[in-house]
Amino acid sequence: MIKLLNVSKQYTLEDEVFFALKKVSLEIGEGEFIGIVGPSGCGKSTLMHLIGLLDRPTEGQVKILGRDVFTLQDEERSKMRNQVIGFVFQQFNLLNKLTVLENVLLPTIYTRSKTDVNHQDKARALLQRFGIEKQINSYPNKISGGQQQRVAIARALINNPKIILADEPTGNLDSQSGKVILDLLGTLNKNDKITVIIVTHDKEVAGKTKRQIRLKDGEIV
Amino acid sequence: MTYFYFILKSALEDFRRNKVRTLLTSLGILIGVSSVVLLMAFGLGLKKYITDQFESLGANLLIIFPGKLIQNGQFRQGPGGLGGKRFDEKDVLKLTKIKTALYIVPAFTKTVEVSGGSHTETADIYATTNDIFAIRNLELDLGSYFTATDNDKRSKYAVLGPKIAEKLFGTKETALGRSVKIENQGFKVVGILKSKGGGGFGGPDLDSFAYIPYKTSYSFNPDKKFIAINIKVDRQDNIQSTKEQVKKIMLDRYSEDDFSVIEATEILNAVSSIFAIMNAVLVAIAAISLIVGGIGIMNIMYVSVVERTKEIGIRRAVGATRSDILYQFLIESVILSLVGGFLGLLISYLVVLLVQKFFPAYMNLESILIALGVSSLIGIVFGVFPARKASLLSPIDAIRYE
Repeated sequence: MIKLLNVSKQYTLEDEVFFALKKVSLEIGEGEFIGIVGPSGCGKSTLMHLIGLLDRPTEGQVKILGRDVFTLQDEERSKMRNQVIGFVFQQFNLLNKLTVLENVLLPTIYTRSKTDVNHQDKARALLQRFGIEKQINSYPNKISGGQQQRVAIARALINNPKIILADEPTGNLDSQSGKVILDLLGTLNKNDKITVIIVTHDKEVAGKTKRQIRLKDGEIV
Repeated sequence: MTYFYFILKSALEDFRRNKVRTLLTSLGILIGVSSVVLLMAFGLGLKKYITDQFESLGANLLIIFPGKLIQNGQFRQGPGGLGGKRFDEKDVLKLTKIKTALYIVPAFTKTVEVSGGSHTETADIYATTNDIFAIRNLELDLGSYFTATDNDKRSKYAVLGPKIAEKLFGTKETALGRSVKIENQGFKVVGILKSKGGGGFGGPDLDSFAYIPYKTSYSFNPDKKFIAINIKVDRQDNIQSTKEQVKKIMLDRYSEDDFSVIEATEILNAVSSIFAIMNAVLVAIAAISLIVGGIGIMNIMYVSVVERTKEIGIRRAVGATRSDILYQFLIESVILSLVGGFLGLLISYLVVLLVQKFFPAYMNLESILIALGVSSLIGIVFGVFPARKASLLSPIDAIRYE
């Protein structure tokens, strides 16, 4: 499902070149529940951004569903972000000027292909499933962090993605809310057969996943 | 549909949060649009005013003037405008042979002091035949016109415009039958005309004319010359052929440069073209303020792109393409610009309504469409650079931006 071949990412900061990732190769199969772990600065977020098509590698190949994604046009990559991948961020990254419901529906406005799905109903169902149906017309800055992260997960799920990428999803939450989110991600993997990749420095969080990929100084260890 | 709802909601929400900023940005366009539209409205009003004035002169009219007045559709430059020879009764007699000419009406005009009652006023006397009333559609309000016989008998009769009558005698009714003094001769006021309007810019004040029989005027026009000869042509189709015949007859006695045969519409076109150029220059100057307004929009859109870098990143992460981001910001700058455009139109409309009491300014559909078209165009032109900047942001840099 996801295949990385000799992927490197290098940055230049004040004339100094350093590698965030060094010739990383890995393969993630359908339905896996993966933790990408390691200390901060080890390159795990960079790895996630490359898999999520938010950033480009300096060299190497990233294949998702068999397609060499960085040879594709911007439209095609955007389409994959829209329909194949769902993001969950540490900062939630909801738009405060849209309501909860509208935030969940946001990806659908960029969906070009026609579907029979009624997005409104689907969004409501997701919000109900996650227990935030009462806040449907609230604005994100008026609800708790745990609720915001559940809205973000609902947004990630609205277009039935094959992959969910979660970057420190519990990092901004208290332990109780964090547990709810982790359980939710686990359920999505188990019941909905979605490939879930969690980036975290927290060993406890990593322990919930089925397979861990450890990174240190840009290399898999 | 949902797409536009989301884009629109996002834009409006941003405008709501930055009310003052939005208002000030739109104000630039508002001022630009209203100055352009208002100047256009004044230009249109002026044109209508001039056209009306000339139409009041009567249709299918040829006028012979001394000298060369108009050349190539423009008023001739340099000396020699209204110089040249003046005409006499012999010319009138010869011109009556033209079959397509319904009336040949010679005229001698002079600006004089007219006294009547206890007042003295400056007025234009128009010494002519009784046919002038027919060809210029001058309707009678009170009394009667003077007649051809009055002319032959050199009767001292005058038909006054309503304005001069009121100025001299207070009311039109009291003026009728009274005596006025023109060039030290007493004239009896036999008729008062209905108002034709006019005066001010672009045309003669027809309501202040005093019409008298031309033969009577010979006492203060000893050369017995006319300043103009009006010729009413029977049909529009015959105007050109009549014009040629008039020229031929006139050339028997005068050289080419001594007279002009002009259609009333030619004068109208020449006058209109002067005002059209003036108006175009003014509108062009006003358009500069639109450009300044556009730069204001561009400035704010750049600020908005920076402020909303994270939003752009989020949208990109959930699947927005570069073009989606480009269109979103373009739509916003067009909305900003159109809001200014609409408000500008509204204000122009109110100003036009206010001024209409004094001046026939009006807005036509064209100027409304131009205003809206130009403001959308400005939104696009000045929005495209900031929007492009937004669309080219890398998703990861954008989403990490704090």
